[in-house]
Amino acid sequence: MGYGEITASKALALHFLCGVGLAAGYGIARLGCDLSLVADPARTLRLLLVVEGPVIIGIYGWVRRDREHCSMRFFSVFTGGDSIRRLLRGDCSDFPLILIPLVQCISSGLLSSGALLNAFGAIVLGAPVGLKYWLSTIYWSSLMSLFTFVPAVCVFGTSRTDWQRILAYSKPKEGVDCLISLPAQGAVIGAWLGAWPMPLDWERPWQEWPICVTYGAIAGYSVGMFASAVFVHVLGRKVHVKDD
Amino acid sequence: MSSSSLTCGKLASWTIAAVLLQILGLSLFVIGFFPVKPTLPGFSGPESYRAPTCDPVLDAEERDLSSEKLRTLYKELSKVPPSYGRLVLMVIDGLPAEFVLGRGDKPPTKAMMEAMPYTQSLLSSGKARGYYAKAAPPTVTMPRLKAMVSGAIGGFLDVAFNFNTQVLLDDNLLDQFKRIGWELVMHGDETWIKLFPRIFTRQDGVSSFYVKDIVEVDFNVSRHLDVELAAEDWNLLILHYLGLDHVGHIGGRHSTLMPAKLKEMDDVIKMIHMGSTVHHQNPDASTLLVVVSDHGMTNGGNHGGSSYEETDSLALFIGSGVESLEFSMNAHKAVHQVDIAPTLALLFGVPIPKNNIGVLLRGMFDTLTDEQRLRALQLNSWQLLRLLQAHLPNFLCGDVTCISGEDNLQTDQSISSMKENLCYLYSRAVSAHNAWLLRQISGLTSNDADDLGYAIDSYYDFLGNASEWLSHRATDKPINLLLSGIVIMLISCVLLLNTVLKLFKEVYITEGKYCSQPKEISQVWQVDEAFVLIGLVIHALSLGASSMVEEEQYTWHFLTSTLYLLFLLTTIRSLFKTAASDFMKMKKPEENLTLHLAVSNDESSYTTNNRSLPWTKLQENHQLYPVLVVLIFGRILRGWHQGGINWVHLPDISKLLVQAGSFSIKALQIFSLLNFMLVGSFAFSLVRSRTHFVHIVRTSYFMSGCLVLLHIINSQTHNIGPTDSSATSVAQLFYICAGSAVLLTVLVVAMLFLGMAGHFGLGNSNSLATIDVAGAFIVLEL
Repeated sequence: MGYGEITASKALALHFLCGVGLAAGYGIARLGCDLSLVADPARTLRLLLVVEGPVIIGIYGWVRRDREHCSMRFFSVFTGGDSIRRLLRGDCSDFPLILIPLVQCISSGLLSSGALLNAFGAIVLGAPVGLKYWLSTIYWSSLMSLFTFVPAVCVFGTSRTDWQRILAYSKPKEGVDCLISLPAQGAVIGAWLGAWPMPLDWERPWQEWPICVTYGAIAGYSVGMFASAVFVHVLGRKVHVKDD
Repeated sequence: MSSSSLTCGKLASWTIAAVLLQILGLSLFVIGFFPVKPTLPGFSGPESYRAPTCDPVLDAEERDLSSEKLRTLYKELSKVPPSYGRLVLMVIDGLPAEFVLGRGDKPPTKAMMEAMPYTQSLLSSGKARGYYAKAAPPTVTMPRLKAMVSGAIGGFLDVAFNFNTQVLLDDNLLDQFKRIGWELVMHGDETWIKLFPRIFTRQDGVSSFYVKDIVEVDFNVSRHLDVELAAEDWNLLILHYLGLDHVGHIGGRHSTLMPAKLKEMDDVIKMIHMGSTVHHQNPDASTLLVVVSDHGMTNGGNHGGSSYEETDSLALFIGSGVESLEFSMNAHKAVHQVDIAPTLALLFGVPIPKNNIGVLLRGMFDTLTDEQRLRALQLNSWQLLRLLQAHLPNFLCGDVTCISGEDNLQTDQSISSMKENLCYLYSRAVSAHNAWLLRQISGLTSNDADDLGYAIDSYYDFLGNASEWLSHRATDKPINLLLSGIVIMLISCVLLLNTVLKLFKEVYITEGKYCSQPKEISQVWQVDEAFVLIGLVIHALSLGASSMVEEEQYTWHFLTSTLYLLFLLTTIRSLFKTAASDFMKMKKPEENLTLHLAVSNDESSYTTNNRSLPWTKLQENHQLYPVLVVLIFGRILRGWHQGGINWVHLPDISKLLVQAGSFSIKALQIFSLLNFMLVGSFAFSLVRSRTHFVHIVRTSYFMSGCLVLLHIINSQTHNIGPTDSSATSVAQLFYICAGSAVLLTVLVVAMLFLGMAGHFGLGNSNSLATIDVAGAFIVLEL
């Protein structure tokens, strides 16, 4: 699959899967474990993370541009190997085997380096640093890293030119760039906007850190996903026009 | 060049004109927003017992009488005998009526009931009469005291005078009491002494500025109780307890210290009540105990606004006349704080103060005869009529239509204007009163109670409407003045915008001659510029929510941090961009490359622009660090002081420091000051020029630094609040860092953001309660 050639339908499908993952995570938290973001933000965020993490890593690993550049072992589990396909077929016999590299991946620093950046941003912007909030902050920033940092790492690996391109150019010019940067930007902007109701004196439980910020981030992420699908569609048409 | 200098002159004149217009508009707006209402000069005298006439000369009849003569004269004229001889006015600062009377139909919480057992027993046995005396904003002590003793509502500008208290010159209860020869004694808040400097026979003022003190401030009042209750010489004893307000300021409405403080107040009430009942037999010396609070408090313990919690103040009457009537527990009436003044005036046989807008409290005159009750209401009506005549010239004079006859009485629809309405209500009350009197004389007692009730109700109708109109009048704002102010300010804004646009055009054109590709610059910096604009708009919008005003420090910190995060992003991005352009070895002309560097604003990299690798550059690069430092220090500054209203109780660095003790504060102060001086000297060493001016600035800088150091070492730390100089130096570091982020287009806004974030970070807020007046009261130690 060539780089930059991603069709709108495929992008839409990708995002749909991401959204389904997110919704599934929330559904499991709500119905399965009787958790809600307002009552227990830390554990709910952890559950979201556990459900959404493999989905995003798997999906974006599949989009990944060149497998040679990828230095991280766990990609092979998800993309090279057929674990996912087996999992999709309902063969859950080696489920723990899949979980092991997942845990490895989380601990291997992929999430955590992105989470560090996100946590830095959040704390600098005023997130509380008390002991009470440590767990929530960690899980929230990991989730944000899943939205922003992880897809880019999955697709670009350690390719320096790609990283330079995506960081230096604010305007995405290729389909995959759109696919990665727009939802990420949406999530960040959504989280930023989500923080605004916090100082209001409504005394609602959801005004606590990180609940409304998470809601904002998820909303922004969804908008970003939709926008990126549209952008991919527009870009694709442009390319076709040029080709003609 | 000649044309541009001409534009300069034009620009300057336009700008000056616009600024002058702005000042004009602002002053018009302020004059409109803080109206000065007409007040009646002088004091009520014997003439207040006669019906108001249309001729003001007749009213202004002044006679110098001795206090004894005046007292007997008042007694004769008023026909309402004074019910009590002595008054104990106990002011509990900041006590919400909810603590004593409960809210609405609900009784107070169990903890509150248990905290004030004696008061609650008085209330439940009907020996005390409680009212919700709704205070008018601004709910700060001095305007409220003025309202209670004069019955008038001051304008909002009274807040400004709260800190620079001036003598109360308007007609008021205390001066009226003094005129009839009363001896007045005051113990408590020194605001009373500032209001009435030479009126008290004995006084002991306590300062309300040591907000942390909740014990001594009340002990200094209570220690006089034994002596004063035994003494016979006073007629009015004012006790003003500040401790409860201080408890609120420290721990909020539901502070754990609150029940103990309420118990203390309850003990004082018990002591006074017990002490006063000893003299019960002597009617001249029968004592009325009035427990009032000047205002309530919010959940955070603050006050000043107009929320229910803040205006919910108490008026509790405990005395021999009150107890004889049935008075159910839950029937506490909502009245106005100003109603206390006329009630007390008539209960103690003095004229109602001239500017009073209050109405006699229902139920307080039930022990009087029917004739006396109506007479009291009549006196109150006459006083309000006089005040109405000051606001509405020729009121009740000349227009006979409304007094014409009985036909009009039933037709409410025909009453259109307020003036006619008040006129109608007054005439109805007067005719009902006269009708009742006629019946009394003629001996017809068939439906006596109905007539009396009708007369009283019609009086209250008039009084209520007149009082409401007058109080609205006090806060009414002349809309024309406000509108014209706003329009002038808008015009000035348009003028200034126009000037700025012209200036931009000029600059853009001249710049365009030198820069070949200005478009690219604007593209790269769009994020910042857009955010600056959006941030300003969002801030302006956020001020629409009152809690966003209360917690404005969060908004400023959020905006500042976001702006600096964007700086960080653009810096990194520009680094990558230059690296990428080098990496791809694109053959761009040399100017283009320098343009990129100008974008990144890195002057030092002009010399090192040939080193291409971004990672090594990142390490070398100085421009990332200031931004990071600002971000981190900004976060520390945010945690330095929990400002605002709702989250004041949360832990912050300044509280930690206070807990850590004075030694660590001093050490931190010295350390931060030295640090600050070090950074400053480093900055001076960077200055290339060696002119005299630089030397002078440097020496003055060091001199001031040393002076502050001396001050820190010498001063006793206990009087340095949480906003100490270490916090100041953090803010100054903030500013220094701001200087290094040189971004011409965004610089002004960045400075504004930083300045506001620093201002709020030092513990300031938009709440009146955080204005640190203590600084004005520091005296030199000798």
